[in-house]
Amino acid sequence: MSARGTLFATGKSKDLDSPASFPMDLIEALRYGVLSILLLLGAAFFFSGIVGPLFALGSVEETVMDVLTRLALLTLPFVAYISGASVARRYTAVDLPRALVLAFTSTVVLFVAIAAGHYVMSFGVFAPRTSLQMTLSQSEDGIRVDAILAQGAAETAGLQVGDVITAIRRDAVDLAAFNKRLSQAAEGDPLRLRFTRGDEEMQETARVVLESDKEISRLLPGLVFALVFTAVIVFLPGHWAPYIALIGLLSPLLVGYFWVIVATFSFRTEGIVPLDGDNNFGGFTLKNWESIFAGNISGLEFNIWPILLTSLAIAIVMTFVVLLVSSMAGYALSRMHFPGRRFFLSFTLILHGFPAITLLIPIFFVLLRLGDIPVFGDLVGFNTVGGIALVMVAFQLPLGVWLMKGFFDNIPWDMERSALIDGASRWRAYWEILLPQIRPGLLALGIFAFIGGWNAYIIPATYSIGSGVSNLPVFLNELIDETAPVDWNQVAAVGLFQLIPIFIFFIFAQEYLLNIYAGGTKGSS
Amino acid sequence: MKVTIDNLSKKFGDVVGVENLTLHIEDGEFVAFLGPSGCGKTTTLLTLAGIYKPTDGLIRFGERIVNQVQPKDRNIGMVFQSYALYPHMTVFQNIAYPLKLKKVSKSDQHDRVRQVANVMGIGELLDRRPGQLSGGQQQRVALGRALVKEPDVLLFDEPLSNLDARLRLTMRGEIKHLQKDLRITSIYVTHDQVEAMTMADRIAVMSEGHLQAFDSPDELYDRPKTLFVAGFVGNPPMNFVDVSVAASNGRFFAETESLRLEVVKERGEPPASHAGPVVMGIRPEDIQITNNGAVSGEIFVVEPLGREDLIDVRVGRHSFLLLADTEDRRQAGERVSLAFDMEQAQFFDPATEKSLLWQ
Repeated sequence: MSARGTLFATGKSKDLDSPASFPMDLIEALRYGVLSILLLLGAAFFFSGIVGPLFALGSVEETVMDVLTRLALLTLPFVAYISGASVARRYTAVDLPRALVLAFTSTVVLFVAIAAGHYVMSFGVFAPRTSLQMTLSQSEDGIRVDAILAQGAAETAGLQVGDVITAIRRDAVDLAAFNKRLSQAAEGDPLRLRFTRGDEEMQETARVVLESDKEISRLLPGLVFALVFTAVIVFLPGHWAPYIALIGLLSPLLVGYFWVIVATFSFRTEGIVPLDGDNNFGGFTLKNWESIFAGNISGLEFNIWPILLTSLAIAIVMTFVVLLVSSMAGYALSRMHFPGRRFFLSFTLILHGFPAITLLIPIFFVLLRLGDIPVFGDLVGFNTVGGIALVMVAFQLPLGVWLMKGFFDNIPWDMERSALIDGASRWRAYWEILLPQIRPGLLALGIFAFIGGWNAYIIPATYSIGSGVSNLPVFLNELIDETAPVDWNQVAAVGLFQLIPIFIFFIFAQEYLLNIYAGGTKGSS
Repeated sequence: MKVTIDNLSKKFGDVVGVENLTLHIEDGEFVAFLGPSGCGKTTTLLTLAGIYKPTDGLIRFGERIVNQVQPKDRNIGMVFQSYALYPHMTVFQNIAYPLKLKKVSKSDQHDRVRQVANVMGIGELLDRRPGQLSGGQQQRVALGRALVKEPDVLLFDEPLSNLDARLRLTMRGEIKHLQKDLRITSIYVTHDQVEAMTMADRIAVMSEGHLQAFDSPDELYDRPKTLFVAGFVGNPPMNFVDVSVAASNGRFFAETESLRLEVVKERGEPPASHAGPVVMGIRPEDIQITNNGAVSGEIFVVEPLGREDLIDVRVGRHSFLLLADTEDRRQAGERVSLAFDMEQAQFFDPATEKSLLWQ
């Protein structure tokens, strides 16, 4: 009994059976916090102090290492608070006040430690900042100089208390814009300030200096934020964490999609904010979409429907042929023995790894010659949808054949034998019994092929030179090439237009997938 | 339908699946192919089904040679170990599939599927899919699908090995009963000798691609013609001892350094006339623990089987398995004396592994 007890009585259950004393918990929380601080500091040093210089030796740009270093330093406080608060989380359900006090205490201690570190290293809020050494406030006429440091940069430049700054060079500024310009400036940069003194318009050049004031009060917003953050961590339901992490990681993508959608409906955008002609929020318009259907973008004339049809034709022909050929080839490779089977298998694998681009020119000649064949050449020669589809299919087939072979391999022999004995011909067993078993595979391959055909650029662009046969991606490129200046909102609209059929395709495919899993090709053992 | 197999061989490249197999299966007979894994029994079955084409030899269904006939034209039904139901079809569609392929009219399909389903006790499940059925139900569906087209020959490929022990017992009885009812020639592949013994009219024992024996279960049990058959048929397996049999004064004795057993005349004569040592076989049920047996030994291990205990007794360097009443409460290490029922002893030639008693 005792032996068994020592064997299994490990783990965290002890914490709730007999809660540890508060100081013990606090020490544990701080230990985790400090540990994560050290870890991230180590990471930062690793990137900036070890890998960075190594890269520099090979005269490779070290931007990435720079970014990683900054990322480590930026996430450092958050990770520390999370590790501290995670100790408190085990009390959330049983003793909430205790959890909060524990979390806040550890956060405050960690905050002080980090702040002290920043203070000593002149980093973060204590980092030297660019300054003109005067105090400003926004007034109706412009930015009023409220106070000025003796011997400071502003005084040296000749500014006085009471001056009202209106512009830097010729750009009118308010206080926010002024501070932005200042923060972006480097030490020693000249800023030519226009200001009024009384009724007199004046202009002086001030040189930016670096100033480290190390004012403790700057820490206050940070502390408040840290405490709020800690509270969120304490209350956050555990199963949300993966979603939050995922959303964080996905956010660049989501922002991208958001921009595309916003951009197509607006006059112009600054970042992801739609703006009208006067730089105010707004400027929503359907003009981008109208001109797609009107067939005239920035002077480039076109008709969208044949282009759309070409895209569709390539995608559909490709899907159909790839599915048909791959499934039949996959079946043969999986079920039949014939001379050269192994060679064929390894050869298709090599083909799959072969970069398509290297074959562009040889295939160009093949298509040219194919075009010389009567009738057949009109279908699959150079400058035809069939020819483009043929080449695309060829590149897609190795993947398809291997995929299908794998799926057929997974169907038990017995099922096919059973069908044969039940009275089916081999063809019928393939069609009625085996194909339904690999529906998910067919669907996956079909989606691959369709999207591959729909988004095809390099092959249609190469084999449809100067003809009416161009698909949407080729057209999109043409749009960017042949208009100046490029109207990016217009480009976004064409891009989104190209996405619509894919969306529709996916909505239906989704249902089909659900059907498969609910209705069950899964089943007998 | 009579099934005749003449000198059948099936090779996969250099690998021999089955070699020179000759079997004559009577109309309406239930034959089991029994043998360990890889003995060629499933290969033979699939060759009969037409999935494999014979490398050599002839297969006749009735008078028709079917060597090159496609499976679909053989009018056979088959039940697989994995059931091999079609997961994307309902139970009804599964059973109706052979009829659909035979182009039976819809209403006939409906009637016959219902009929078969009721016989199999799965009339309630016709709208379900195989994935929603238990193993036993799936096996009934598979059996129904094999039966629905009224086949001339029914083939079973270890149909019960995926079922639990209790269900296996039930299905065993049902299949046997059904076969007797329908009088369809049936061939049943199994590695479980209990299944073969209980169900089959005749058993074809196979080993390494060769037919070892083809006889009724009793015959195989009482008069095994080879060492392999003797060892494979019967559970727990027969005990084998290398002995020399000698005659003295018209009495026959089987001897080793630690054993001396008198053998009855009709069993002792043939091995005695055989030059050199022979293998003696004796079944566990033919050895009794008694107070005054001829042989004494020590119990090595006791395995309770519930109804009786399986006991391993060491006699000198020999080891004998025997069965004892659980009431006796035998313990390992106990010294016991054994009585051998030598009227049941078997003798084999160690070189040819053939029986010296039965040819």
